[in-house]
Amino acid sequence: MVACIEGRNVSLTFRPPNRGPVRALQGFDIDVQDGEFLSIVGPSGCGKSTFLNVVLGLIKADSGDVLMRGKPIAGPGTDRAMVFQEFGLLPWRTVLNNIELGLELKGVPAGQRRDVSQRFVQMVGLSGFEGHYPHELSGGMKQRVGLARALATDPDVLLMDEPFAALDAQTRDVMQVELLRIWHEAKKTVLFVTHQIEEAIYLSDRVMVMTKRPGHAKKIFAIDLPRPRDYEMRVTPEFNELKLQIWHALKDEITV
Amino acid sequence: MSESRTIKAALASSDELAAPGKSLWHRIEPAALGIGSIVALLVVWELVPRLITLSAGTKLFFTTPSQVAGTLWRLFATGEIWTPLGVSASGFGLGLLLSIVVGLPLGVLIGRSRTLNDMIDPFITAFNATPRLVFLPLVMLWLGLGLWSKVLIVFIGALFPILINTYEGVRNADKVLINVVRSFGAKEWDIARLVVVPNAMPYIIAGLRLAIGRAVLGVVVAEFFGSESGLGVMMVQAAGRYQVDVVFSGLIIFAVLSLALTAMVQILEQRLSRWRPVHVSE
Repeated sequence: MVACIEGRNVSLTFRPPNRGPVRALQGFDIDVQDGEFLSIVGPSGCGKSTFLNVVLGLIKADSGDVLMRGKPIAGPGTDRAMVFQEFGLLPWRTVLNNIELGLELKGVPAGQRRDVSQRFVQMVGLSGFEGHYPHELSGGMKQRVGLARALATDPDVLLMDEPFAALDAQTRDVMQVELLRIWHEAKKTVLFVTHQIEEAIYLSDRVMVMTKRPGHAKKIFAIDLPRPRDYEMRVTPEFNELKLQIWHALKDEITV
Repeated sequence: MSESRTIKAALASSDELAAPGKSLWHRIEPAALGIGSIVALLVVWELVPRLITLSAGTKLFFTTPSQVAGTLWRLFATGEIWTPLGVSASGFGLGLLLSIVVGLPLGVLIGRSRTLNDMIDPFITAFNATPRLVFLPLVMLWLGLGLWSKVLIVFIGALFPILINTYEGVRNADKVLINVVRSFGAKEWDIARLVVVPNAMPYIIAGLRLAIGRAVLGVVVAEFFGSESGLGVMMVQAAGRYQVDVVFSGLIIFAVLSLALTAMVQILEQRLSRWRPVHVSE
């Protein structure tokens, strides 16, 4: 069976002007199965966000193959959508118009756009805020818009780049529960990048630990916890055992 | 935001509690002082020839507010003003419009393209460093004393503030947002339309405000030094005939038009920035 997303021996070096080259990825391998929720954890700067941008089609790898359903990724496409770390909302657009961004660029007619965006406003729980501008929303609400915008174009894969990193701890917990609910409803493949081990375990089917830069896969953990998952699960021995194992894999990679 | 607003409201109400009788005066004080000083100046000016006997020679160069008001009234009542006003307005309007139509897209292009920027930048730097008035003889030589020399002078003056401000705004575009729209399949045109231009809007409006000032100046200069008709021509001719009240009338019309245009830009700015958070400092 062809994997939904496949990375084979991916290497990428940034060459910023006025500075030495930065090797972000080296010999990176990954398989993301259809419908799977896979998280990548790794130290800061290990290239995990870089890989998401390669899958998104915004940057190209220097060598290796990055495939979507067996076909090389040549650029952005409507089969993939990203939920951005700092939300990435257009501040001059209302909630509804932000959600419609992808549909607009896809050429969907205005009436149809409205129907779709209204549906996703409901799904992410933002009814009543359709006409609000981003600065009038809390961080959690902004990321709900970001999520709705990514889902609106009906992509096969949702790429999430530390989507809850800018939120406070409680909002983050609520958003994790919300994400799982929406994931069950929307049935997407998710590739999720995070710093937080607990977040990764709670959400994922599998968790990949990456090495420090230049990053590649260090170890993959299967998270065989039953679904649907609830908050109480985080205090079970199984959960904590996983947390400990992943921490052991990760801690040698962290340089302070 | 709402927090700061509450604080502001709380401050205001505690102010009122401390001095309940003063609150009305507090609110109208700036406006009252401003209007009051203007009225005082006009009254003094009006009284001068009544209190002091001016020599016949001095009277030639002198006028009073009431005379100017009368002349203004006459110019509008007889319709005498409409032809010069129309000529000046069309020179201003066409020149400004042209500078927006050229300056805005060109600013976006050179802001987005390194190559174009390197090619065009020397011209912009040179042109912008040169006082606009030095083009006047050449423009008059080429285009004569009619409408189009005025349009060109206005255009040269108004182009650069718009062009340079648009360019600056475009260079400051949010790279994350550009990546966001690119990830949804945006091409260069969509990037400009969806991110770059809205993001640069405060710069563009500031440029427009400058451009309006330059455009008015362009009209005045062109009409003072070489035009067949217009408000400026009317003023110069009146000055030659010692009609000081007519000169003042022209001056007032220019001042009022400039104020009105500035107010229009402000309204435009407010309409375009409804999405922006309200700052306490404003």
